[in-house]
Amino acid sequence: MSSEYERPERDEDDPMACGYTSYDTDGDVEYAEKESAENEVPATGKGAEGVERRVWEALYKVEDPEMPISIVDLGLIYGVEVDDDGTANVDMTLTYTGCPARDMLLNEVKQSVSAVDGVETAEITLVWSPGWTVEMVTEQGKESLREFGLSV
Amino acid sequence: MATAENATFDSVDDLDDEQREAVKDLLLRLADDELVIAERYTEWQVRAPTLESDISLANIAQDELGHARLWYDVVETFGYDETDLIWERDADDFRHSTLVELPFEEGDWADAVVRSYLYDVAEDIQLRALEDSTYAPIRDRVGKVLGEEDYHLEFAESWLEHLAADDEGHEKLQSALDRLYPYALTLFEPSDEDIEETIVELGLRDEELVGMRDEWHDRVSSYLESIGLEVPGLDLPEQYDVHVSPDLLPEHVGRDGDHTDDWEALLDEMTHSYEELGRDYATHIMDDDE
Repeated sequence: MSSEYERPERDEDDPMACGYTSYDTDGDVEYAEKESAENEVPATGKGAEGVERRVWEALYKVEDPEMPISIVDLGLIYGVEVDDDGTANVDMTLTYTGCPARDMLLNEVKQSVSAVDGVETAEITLVWSPGWTVEMVTEQGKESLREFGLSV
Repeated sequence: MATAENATFDSVDDLDDEQREAVKDLLLRLADDELVIAERYTEWQVRAPTLESDISLANIAQDELGHARLWYDVVETFGYDETDLIWERDADDFRHSTLVELPFEEGDWADAVVRSYLYDVAEDIQLRALEDSTYAPIRDRVGKVLGEEDYHLEFAESWLEHLAADDEGHEKLQSALDRLYPYALTLFEPSDEDIEETIVELGLRDEELVGMRDEWHDRVSSYLESIGLEVPGLDLPEQYDVHVSPDLLPEHVGRDGDHTDDWEALLDEMTHSYEELGRDYATHIMDDDE
């Protein structure tokens, strides 16, 4: 069983935030269908095709600055749409309003999405409703967080 | 009340000039309060009475800065940027209440505890009155902000009860309350009567200031009296259009741009690094010899 999208690969020798933790990133956990919510958020890119699929692939490679988890698995992405003119619109949220990594993370998302083949410009929109909760983390994401030492 | 009669507004493009002024005023009241109280809270870093309270208050400050940023983000859609809104705004264009700008009485933890309690109850009431705001960007943010507020009150109440249990603590709380209560009333003062009327008419907020103030007074009095403190009296207005008996309010209310001198000093301090970054002269380490 493999997941539809690849997460960043890890080398066992790479230094990690928690040195004692070993990380298994074989990705053999299928990320869950989001049963959450109204408005189908967060979005996970399931079944996406063409340029949008490539945007999702890029988003899965962006990690949270503090924890070894893709921002998609963390539940931050609320929607992706690529217009005919190559404008990629990404709606995303943050776990916390006072997030000190806000600019860094938005910038990283913008860079990653802009670099996707078929994308001319990337428009990143921060949205706050519905507010993020830990319930929005995908099953694979929860697994990663547990391995990191968090109780979710 | 936001009823079917009220139009709803999705973005700044749906607003005419008068409506825009009202939304902006409402947002600046929220954002400026959060920014300034956070700035004051940070003065307690490495000085709070216990390690846990030190970290808690620093974290509360970070929350309030996050909320300020959410509201300023919306103001920016009106054509402003961070420089206009914070770094180069004139002191008397800020719309926060004077409660949040006052310096703490030196070393007086009771001041911080009472102030955060009075403020957080008011914030809770104000945010709940915005949950059905007719302005979508406000409505969409309230839930996230409220979700990050609960423990602020728990923190303040736990310290109030702790301090009230002992004579010296009780005395300090009472003295802080007597001093701060009139300033807390300014949280519910209008920036301008006409703008306030527009805010309510448009359903941007679904409660009037006077109603929120009364609710706030009831809540804080019943709690503070339960721990043995005396709450200064509130003269309920006899005429509908009078918000608060003028002799209860402090000289400066802040909301209308009239602040205490302490605000000017705090703003200078806040913007000091910004000003220095733009310097076009060499820094003098020592005075020149005359």
